[in-house]
Amino acid sequence: MKHLTDVEITMASDGEITGADAARILSHLARCEECRARQAEIEAAMKAFLSERLHISSGDGPRALLRAKMNEAELADTGWQRTAVIAAGLALLLLAVFGTGVFETPVEARSLPDPVITPGAALPLTARDVCAVHETEVNPVVPQAVAYKVFASYGIQPKARAYEMDYLISPALGGADSINNFWPQPYSTSVWNAHVKDALEDHMRKLVCSGELDLAIAQRDIARDWVAAYKKYFRSEKPLAAHVNFTKDRAWE
Amino acid sequence: MSETTRPRYLIGGLSESSQKAQPLREEVTLLFDEWRAPVMRYLLSLGLRPQDGEEIVQEVFLALYRHLSAGKPRHNLRGWIFRVAHNLGLKRRQAGGGLQDWNEVSDRQSDPSPNPEEALAAAQRQQKLLAVVDALPEADRVCLYLRGEGLRYREISEILSMSLGAVAVSLSRTFGKLARADK
Repeated sequence: MKHLTDVEITMASDGEITGADAARILSHLARCEECRARQAEIEAAMKAFLSERLHISSGDGPRALLRAKMNEAELADTGWQRTAVIAAGLALLLLAVFGTGVFETPVEARSLPDPVITPGAALPLTARDVCAVHETEVNPVVPQAVAYKVFASYGIQPKARAYEMDYLISPALGGADSINNFWPQPYSTSVWNAHVKDALEDHMRKLVCSGELDLAIAQRDIARDWVAAYKKYFRSEKPLAAHVNFTKDRAWE
Repeated sequence: MSETTRPRYLIGGLSESSQKAQPLREEVTLLFDEWRAPVMRYLLSLGLRPQDGEEIVQEVFLALYRHLSAGKPRHNLRGWIFRVAHNLGLKRRQAGGGLQDWNEVSDRQSDPSPNPEEALAAAQRQQKLLAVVDALPEADRVCLYLRGEGLRYREISEILSMSLGAVAVSLSRTFGKLARADK
């Protein structure tokens, strides 16, 4: 009796035999002890190889990063950037014609960052990594050169102690040292100011580190709309009184 | 305009295109959750460093998002993901992406609670199998890793531009070598 080849045995073990050969090979295996023994050896080798695979750590941080990139891609694809460029061009033209008095709506009034300039960026860390480092050890200061670049991209004249150069996704939640994650957040002009966001960051980190909130969801929510995140996690439509003057991060100066 | 009513440009925005994009982002995120680890493992098997692997994984899934946004075919997305990862991985390697020193990698799956004798035997077996895998020609090694991630022969043949028969021969040759080393 002609025995099966290793290729036929391997394909049979992998469920890859189809068509006319299937009946011949399977019936041979049923009858031939020698081929079944060879099949057992090959399957043991497959199993041994599979059991030695690398373990890949959690993808919380990478998932948040991908979501931020998809948001950015969607904006570019829908032509929003093109519209913004045209609008900026028109604004410059009007400025040239009518002078600066035309534009009374200050950029400083922002409570939310511009999602194109600041989509948010996170490091590939797990909740365990993030919570293993004490909060006070992850409060870095944005270098001045980078801060000036961020102010310029927002068209803001830097003003000492008026802003916090904020990490949209805070380092205490795995936020990255990336220009995509920095924005000048005003202290004074809005109800939803830097003091309030600091309180939210503190609260979200506590939820993440107590296991009540998934890190990727925390990063997503704060990058997507931190005001909505505040309302969601504090169950309040307005900043709580205790948070109005809450200060954790330093003012930019 | 108050903050709560001003137009939003991130997820949950007001535009129709944003509303359509949201389920797609959720779908790609689910695919990412399912396939990130297998794709990472495969990229590491090509010899790439973890940081290069992570960057390529991001590129792959962003490309997938664009692919689906453009209404392109959804047939066999798993094969599509690995094909793009394979091509980007080779490109990165050719561009001088540093190679992983496998001696640094020890985080392999193993029995969580073996006794000392079992642990020693398992370590010796692992060394033998890894030596066989390391000595394989690259084409065979790549086939093996794709098979290890659960891809069908047809998917492997498409990713590596090999015939179906060549995939079967490669895998049987490799499993034959592993079986001999495991005796």
